[in-house]
Amino acid sequence: MKELSLNILDIAMNSVKAGATKVEIRLTETGNRLELTFTDNGCGMTEEQVNSVTDPFFTTRTTRKVGMGIPFLKLAAEQTGGSFAIQSETGERHGTVTTATFYTDHIDFTPLGDIVSSVSTLIRGSPDIRWVFAHETPNGAVALDTDELKAVLGDVPLDNYEVVKWIEEYLRESYAEVNQNET
Amino acid sequence: MKVSELAASGGFRALALSDPSREIAGCYVGDLLSWVMGRAQAGNAWITIMSNVNVAAVASLADVACVIFAEGVQPDEQALAAAQTRGINLIATGLPEYEAAVTLSRLI
Repeated sequence: MKELSLNILDIAMNSVKAGATKVEIRLTETGNRLELTFTDNGCGMTEEQVNSVTDPFFTTRTTRKVGMGIPFLKLAAEQTGGSFAIQSETGERHGTVTTATFYTDHIDFTPLGDIVSSVSTLIRGSPDIRWVFAHETPNGAVALDTDELKAVLGDVPLDNYEVVKWIEEYLRESYAEVNQNET
Repeated sequence: MKVSELAASGGFRALALSDPSREIAGCYVGDLLSWVMGRAQAGNAWITIMSNVNVAAVASLADVACVIFAEGVQPDEQALAAAQTRGINLIATGLPEYEAAVTLSRLI
């Protein structure tokens, strides 16, 4: 995809479809390495299902239940010399952890793009899920936990227009601060 | 023009012809797979320099007539195997993408 943030949106939607009540999206930058991790408590997948979603030919000729998000993320990571992995559990401790590692100085690294829009779109689309977003960089961190927001908001829903606007502005300001620290 | 006829034309060669009688209708050039997936038309010959198994999957989803690997790019083994079992035609050319498209345009 043209932006990693679109890929992130796509992958996080898998967690929504898996019935997760908590989804964590973490981006950790250290030097030229970017680690992207999705952790959800959704229904999880069997080993066979994990293989299926990684297989770009999963499902029928013109429709795919899970989209090409996973194969594209794997490709995006591997084409920078990075790696990709999925760990999933269907039992009592059900959930899925998807990890992709990128080398950001590789010419084929897909820029992150508008991650703020992706995160706010996810929150607005599924306000009942607890979203935890954290982006750590050497110059500072951007973080948001919708449970902390809910504690302040009380009965005001997360998909309220003003709240969505606030979330977007908060994230953009946080990124502006991090970018200011960049030397 | 049929895919088998293109494969027999100068500058092109067959890598996998699972559906050789497929008719080519137009052409699409692109390497960003997610982009191609939403834009290539059914029956197009798709010219690309990408070579992994996702190419075969996108070719299948977009229902293109064939994939043309430009610049002498070789699809990896997984892509080749997937094409053979799923009725996807793969063609190779040493030409760069633009020249491949121009040559194809004169043929079809």
